[in-house]
Amino acid sequence: MGDYKFAKDKLAEVLSSLGDYQVFAPTPAGDVVRFLEVKDPAAVTLESANSTVPPKELMFPETETLFKYRLGDTGLDPSVPDASARRLVFGIRPCDAMAYTIVDNLFSWDFTDPYYLNRRENTTLVGFACGDPCANCFCPSMGGAPASEKGLDALMFDLGDTFYVKTLTDKGDAFAKAAGLDAAGDAESKAAEKQAEEALGKVKRSIDTAGIPEKLPSLYDHPFWEQFSDRCLSCGICTFLCPTCHCFDIQDEAEAFNARRARMWDTCMFAEYTVHTSGHNPRPTRKERTRNRISHKYSYFPEKFDVIACVGCGRCINNCPVNIDLLDILEKSKQAEGKEAKTA
Amino acid sequence: MVDLKELQDKAKEVISRDDVRRLIGWQRGTYGFESAPIVVTDASDADKLIFDPTCVQNPASFITLEEKRPVPRGQEPDTRKVAVMVKGCDSRAIVQQLVEKAYPRENMIVMGMPCRGVIDRRKAAALFGDVTPDEVKLDGDKVVVSLNSETKELARGDILADKCMRCRYPNPLVSDELMTEEVEKWGADEFADVDEFEKMSPADKWKFWEEQFSKCIRCYSCRNVCPMCYCVECVVAKLKPQWTRRSTDISENAAYHVQRAWHLSGRCIECMECQRVCPVDIPIMTLNRKMTRDVKEMFDYEPGVDVEAEPLLACYNPQDPEDYIM
Amino acid sequence: MMDESNPYLPYIVKVEDAWYETPVGDRAVKTFKVTFEDEKVWDTWSHRPGNCAMVGRLGIGESMFCISSSPTEEGYLRFSIMQAGKVTSAIHEVDAGDTLTVRGPLGNSFPMEEWEGKNIVSIGGGIGQAPLRPVINYVRANKDKYGDLKVLYGARTSDLHCFKTEFDEYSGEGTACHLAIDVEEEGWPHFVGFVPDLLMEVAPSPENTIAVTCGPPILIKFVTQNLEKLGFTPDQIYTTLEERMKCGIGKCGRCNVGSMYVCKDGPVFSYETLKKIPEAFA
Repeated sequence: MGDYKFAKDKLAEVLSSLGDYQVFAPTPAGDVVRFLEVKDPAAVTLESANSTVPPKELMFPETETLFKYRLGDTGLDPSVPDASARRLVFGIRPCDAMAYTIVDNLFSWDFTDPYYLNRRENTTLVGFACGDPCANCFCPSMGGAPASEKGLDALMFDLGDTFYVKTLTDKGDAFAKAAGLDAAGDAESKAAEKQAEEALGKVKRSIDTAGIPEKLPSLYDHPFWEQFSDRCLSCGICTFLCPTCHCFDIQDEAEAFNARRARMWDTCMFAEYTVHTSGHNPRPTRKERTRNRISHKYSYFPEKFDVIACVGCGRCINNCPVNIDLLDILEKSKQAEGKEAKTA
Repeated sequence: MVDLKELQDKAKEVISRDDVRRLIGWQRGTYGFESAPIVVTDASDADKLIFDPTCVQNPASFITLEEKRPVPRGQEPDTRKVAVMVKGCDSRAIVQQLVEKAYPRENMIVMGMPCRGVIDRRKAAALFGDVTPDEVKLDGDKVVVSLNSETKELARGDILADKCMRCRYPNPLVSDELMTEEVEKWGADEFADVDEFEKMSPADKWKFWEEQFSKCIRCYSCRNVCPMCYCVECVVAKLKPQWTRRSTDISENAAYHVQRAWHLSGRCIECMECQRVCPVDIPIMTLNRKMTRDVKEMFDYEPGVDVEAEPLLACYNPQDPEDYIM
Repeated sequence: MMDESNPYLPYIVKVEDAWYETPVGDRAVKTFKVTFEDEKVWDTWSHRPGNCAMVGRLGIGESMFCISSSPTEEGYLRFSIMQAGKVTSAIHEVDAGDTLTVRGPLGNSFPMEEWEGKNIVSIGGGIGQAPLRPVINYVRANKDKYGDLKVLYGARTSDLHCFKTEFDEYSGEGTACHLAIDVEEEGWPHFVGFVPDLLMEVAPSPENTIAVTCGPPILIKFVTQNLEKLGFTPDQIYTTLEERMKCGIGKCGRCNVGSMYVCKDGPVFSYETLKKIPEAFA
């Protein structure tokens, strides 16, 4: 674990020296930024606050093959990622790295999911501290921070002309070595500390989550959900852009005789998500689905894994087309009067 | 210019009527230049209603989004009316929904809001950053943004949505009452955007769409926000048979977008909401604008304008261009 | 347990025998008796009454079904599947000699050890008898560990009863079988009426007894009400829930009822547990 630095104008050079790794970094994709495999180091941008689609897709791709087979045959050819491959995510924000540590719980709950877990194992995470949190960021309320080290192998700070890099694990050290980074001194580490402290002060929004997981089930029948579900489009934006959302569908696909079983992102916000073959749908309207989504992230998930499934990245708030604001919902849930839900 | 107090009082009056169940309009958003649709069911909430250039959403979408719950035994279905506030472009959705007989006209109370433009949030963010303005209003030819007791005046084209600069219908085409005076049309629309795109070679066009469709995450926000996408079972959700797979590769993504453009031809009323909501910036309306222009040229037809019109693909004219029934 | 390292890979199973329990047609029930293509799987396989498995056909998909045979029935697994949609229709096309895929055992199971020394009342309706059959057969195979066994089973008509050929086995010392159909049928000698009414007719004593019920939701609702009327407490009543499932291992997220994943925390639930989950009674 050490302190390193490199000049800002050497960014492309540093990325080029990581030839041993398959590197992913924020890359412009039209007007938005996405974590893509680095083909041209000069195209990588660290100017954007965060990618719209979270880097969760690097561990849990939007669509991936579980196994291949030929129709008529019974041999299965699994497409499990290689745990010993060398991948590196460069410039991941602390909120997204912390999200991995939350989702790890689920993908290793009793049954281990080798597709996700092998990718987690083979990936080095080089984080990028936030100097200027955005209007809807609230990571400190969720146990994070603009310079949180949770889940990271190294953490970079933008100090103007220089990037300061603090390595946190062996993987981080290996990265610093491969990139040929210079050693940094006290000046840089102190400047980073100062930036981290100032950034924390710049976070404008917050929520005190104490008591929310216990309170939400008591609001099951409360009409306040309709305030939000009435305008919900039932689309997948909040869930697909959420770094801790992990739901998926499994489908068999065949092209002539070549077939595969694949999984792809799914969302509890779609009406078809829970529909039974009989046509019965336990969550027929947006009210049930909105209530379920919030309850899952803020009550059911922490009940199982002792951590709220949210990192305060603000993507759901920033991208909801009808301004359903998560912090607004949580605040209203704290104000609403709970009661014993109607059971049998 | 709408008088907000008058608007809210009128809304209170409407929602207090015995025969009105809900009223759909806009409320202030929670940050930045946001507004949010609001469904008012009680007069006490009418104070939340607003109307200013931030009111981008199309309330007509929320008429068809409302689910029909089964009526409990012994109860009668609630047949009270729905009131909805609509801008010019929004009102075309209501007209087209009426043309398609989505609901009886008597069920709706349409409160018309003549409109001179709504802001483009991305343009606003580029100009102002992460701020929440105190007020946004139109004053003559300018958009006035008040922020921290300072006001900034902008040319309309600098901050309003592109669709607004070429708006063909600023005044609602259907309404029971106009909430403010009609406005004079200012723009013209020759479908220059479609012409421009058509100049590309087929190879370049495909390259363009390959790049755009590869970004698609199939969130279906474009479909769900569309006031004309209200099929009970959408073709992309079907499993028996499955027409479009759920996997997010270029083949299925392209199929989805092209399918939707086809299903909207002769029906899309160009509110541009689909393009606004897309989280990965796909220029979805490029396809729909092309279909709109072609429909106009081939059939001299414009959806969402005349309540008495027939749906394009459900009627036949002996002068139609095709040689045969196809 | 299937491949420890990859819980998404199914076993290939051979269908030894397949037959219809109810008349062929829409919503018919077909039973499949299967064994693993790789016999070595039996060395590590173990399941309990209540466990489920994802049964499927390559090229179509999988659905979750209860394992309808008790672990005391060795050398095979049974699944009784109602034709309802895409996957079940494809499975129904399969007959003896064909293959299916099985991923399991999944889910929790009935606490058979906790129930030792107690009387067992099984109350089933229609296809709901499928998860109850392993409980019944387990209890019968371990007669000395349990008290009395009562099997109450109703269907809309007599040809819609599943496992008809086994009813005669549910009789003898300490075992009783009570059948029902909804409406009168010529030649039907047993109870006519709904299962909750059959329950009140049989009126089992709650003394040292466990009641297990499965069937359409409306049946479970009224059976539970009637059990409580008879003096059963919530911890004496067990049932199984079902939801749409895809992964079956608690990861894809969709089968939750409140904080419980039906594929993993269930499908077996005591009424005592269910009472605390509002979503279970929506």
